[in-house]
Amino acid sequence: MRNIKYYFLSFLFMTIGAFAQQEQQDQRVPQEGHKNNNKFKQLYEEFSTPNMFRAASGAPGPAYYQQQADYKMDIVLDDDKAILSGNETITYTNNAPETLNYLWVQLDQNVRAKDSKSPLIESGSVAPVQQASTFAKNHLAETFDGGFKIESVTDTNGKPLSHMINRTMMRVEVPQGLETGDKFSFNIKWWYNINDHVKEGGRSGYEYFPEDGNRAYVIAQFYPRMAVYNDVEGWQNSQFWGRDEFALPFGNFEVNITVPADHILDATGKLTNRKDVFSKDMMKRYEKAKKSYDEPVLIVTQEEAERAEKSKSTKTKTWKLYAENVRDFGFATSRKYIWDMMAVKLGDRDVMAVSMYPKEGNPLWEDWSTKAVASTLKTYSRMTFDYPYHKAISVHAQRQGMEYPMICWNYGRPDKDGNYSDRTKFGMMSVIIHEVGHNFFPMIVNSDERQWTWMDEGLNTFVQYVAEQDFGKWYPAALSEGQTAYPSRRGPAAKITDYMGGDQNFIAPIMTKGLNTYQFGHNAYGKPGTALNILRETVMGEELFDYAFREYSNRWMFKHPTPEDFFRTMEDASAFDLDWFWRGWFYTTDYVDIGIKSVKKYHVSAKPNKEGAKIAERFSIDPKSLVYYIEEGSDEFSEDMKNSKDLQNDIPTLKEYLMDNFTPQERAKMEQPKYFYEVTYDKPGGLVMPIIVEFTYADGTSKTEKYPAQIWRLNDKEVSRVIGSTKEIVKITVDPKLETADVDTSNNSWPREVQQSEFDAFKNKTQD
Amino acid sequence: MQTLKRLVLLLILPLFAFTAVHKYYVSVTQIEYLEDRESVQIITRIFIDDFENVLRERYDSSLVLNDNRDEDEIDKYIEKYLSSRILVNINNTPVTIKYLGKKYTDDIANCYLEITNVKAINSFEIKNEVLFDIFADQKNIVRTHINSKNKSFILIPQDNKGLLNF
Repeated sequence: MRNIKYYFLSFLFMTIGAFAQQEQQDQRVPQEGHKNNNKFKQLYEEFSTPNMFRAASGAPGPAYYQQQADYKMDIVLDDDKAILSGNETITYTNNAPETLNYLWVQLDQNVRAKDSKSPLIESGSVAPVQQASTFAKNHLAETFDGGFKIESVTDTNGKPLSHMINRTMMRVEVPQGLETGDKFSFNIKWWYNINDHVKEGGRSGYEYFPEDGNRAYVIAQFYPRMAVYNDVEGWQNSQFWGRDEFALPFGNFEVNITVPADHILDATGKLTNRKDVFSKDMMKRYEKAKKSYDEPVLIVTQEEAERAEKSKSTKTKTWKLYAENVRDFGFATSRKYIWDMMAVKLGDRDVMAVSMYPKEGNPLWEDWSTKAVASTLKTYSRMTFDYPYHKAISVHAQRQGMEYPMICWNYGRPDKDGNYSDRTKFGMMSVIIHEVGHNFFPMIVNSDERQWTWMDEGLNTFVQYVAEQDFGKWYPAALSEGQTAYPSRRGPAAKITDYMGGDQNFIAPIMTKGLNTYQFGHNAYGKPGTALNILRETVMGEELFDYAFREYSNRWMFKHPTPEDFFRTMEDASAFDLDWFWRGWFYTTDYVDIGIKSVKKYHVSAKPNKEGAKIAERFSIDPKSLVYYIEEGSDEFSEDMKNSKDLQNDIPTLKEYLMDNFTPQERAKMEQPKYFYEVTYDKPGGLVMPIIVEFTYADGTSKTEKYPAQIWRLNDKEVSRVIGSTKEIVKITVDPKLETADVDTSNNSWPREVQQSEFDAFKNKTQD
Repeated sequence: MQTLKRLVLLLILPLFAFTAVHKYYVSVTQIEYLEDRESVQIITRIFIDDFENVLRERYDSSLVLNDNRDEDEIDKYIEKYLSSRILVNINNTPVTIKYLGKKYTDDIANCYLEITNVKAINSFEIKNEVLFDIFADQKNIVRTHINSKNKSFILIPQDNKGLLNF
């Protein structure tokens, strides 16, 4: 009976608030209705309806298919003229349920053609001053004659095929149409002038070394490549403007590359004629490298490379490579290359970590490149799946940072005397970790880069952060004096706040096509990478996150995922409703700013306060049966309230209730809070996030409480919490470890701490 | 046609190896007026790579930023460079901007500048031509907080000044 009464009472108190609201609403002005603007609204409108190709769980559906493109290519490098020519046969398999009457082939080199439209979509202006060399290049010299020169497009019998080139895309007609399950082979003959990537830019090309007259080539996007056809885009034939990267189907590659006989070459795929191209010494060293797990073994030494630089062979050598299940092919070749290798154990398999660099990269490259490759493969394999290819190569190329299956180009060069700054060293290590990491995203988890830059760059930047921290732990000698951890540039929440709190005119949501975003680096790398790090460390916890992230990686290994497949899988595998997180972080430009608006202190009393007495009278309740909160500093407050020693004795109704409902043993164990607080948190920022609060007590101890993000579900502006504490709270701090990317921390503490501005902090420090 | 050639180069340069390298030429300058202290505090944030390029181009081709080497010498260059590229008029009168120093964070050089003895601001004009001398597509963002008002400008070579009247 008593219980029923209390139940009734608590119901009554809940409804009092509602009455008050009702009274206010009676006097309201007419209001407009609205749609569901709740930050926790599910993503049904943003997501497409799941289907047989892509399941609601985020996994490939029962009718999932993907196309295959196999290549056989003979490639010849003319080192004198810097011309690359090729004869390739593409065999395309149509696994789509529909018939294809034409195929789209990507001609990426055409971004550098004389009639390229890429330069025309950028706005430019006159600089008041220019270097003479830049001026001459811009206004006096002939523009570079780049782009594919297509000599023929034929069927396997040599009969010309009808085709049409629209800038960087070529449509090739299939005479009889290609039904599901059909294969179609055709041949393309081409050549192009290789660009100087240092002077003219581009993700591939050569660097010229005037001291010895040699070139180092890093070659990619060098052959007409099949576009992706799938259930989401149809043909992904969005033009290549230069910035947004690639979408490519998987296939097998048989590639023969003919280069000067004194060149050293490495590429995507297995070298199938090693005995023809390796010297006996190289073979011996290679065998040794296969068993060296701690230190790289030099296959070509610096001394040998320097000797090779001094002359130019007129003979040629053909390097034969075969790669299975890769989406692309790249190679690097030069007589300048030093070459080292080291074995890495992943599960029960051995993989080779490889580096290739001109002497200009030393001493940095011989010390750290291959170790960075090995370390990266270990971390990424732990976070996703065991690296399935047999090797990963890091090639040193000035100002490059670009990835291909098994091979990537990386910057980081000491000065002429071999000195390098920390910026060069960590820049080099980070770019190697990043580009080798791209083997996983997007080379294997093969997202559409042309559409969604963040899907590979963001995921990769996130794992890069984990890999950098591992690298710092596993190779402390790589750190500089005074450092205890690897100085990651991206990953920690606090490093993204300047961008997210910046001018909204220059911020785009992550879910924007890569070509059309502002602040590309922050948009596609920094913010999604940091968002995933926050999701892992602060929102979900490592265990739940890592399982789901691995699940996504394994589900989409060697397949083509979309953003939804990622978002859905992360929820499907964790039972963590994340629609609010994807909506806020990925679909909007909102930022995090949560603060403490007010803190009120209360004391508990048996003596009715005015408000309480009114309520008791209105609902005919005995005023003595209630407990009253008196705010410190209010009219009804008196100092003696602070001295209450024993809650039960001071408030007879409470004592009576406890004696009726609890045993003496239970009562003895009860903690008796003495200090009561109402803490109101406000949220000037648009993003909802968990509220992480640290309470510091008068005795110097502290406790951290984490309220899930859902605390904001009914009020997006402010929420209050009541706290009963046995100890006096002297300080409250929101987000004490700076883990939520709160852009303004000046409102994060109570009592409000006047933060020294960055300017004053600098001034005071330098004046000391 | 000439314009086209110039554009080609201007534009291809920023396409460099995008995968990990920043090539977004922007500096950010924050300006705050503290009336009670009669001080205008300025922080200019510039990418170290870009900054190093311009300082090498102008003064010393061997200098390296953030390498614990020659920082006093570098401070002199920075002071000289910024004093010629950032000009401020307060109440229609040119004012002296004092360079206090710089601090590196990640790939950014944060430069601290101060204008002192500013009793009141009725008008504030800033010209910021940092890096315009080497990058034609450089943008300098200026954010001001003066007399309790926030305002931001994006300065480009053809439009290199921002003016505020109170």
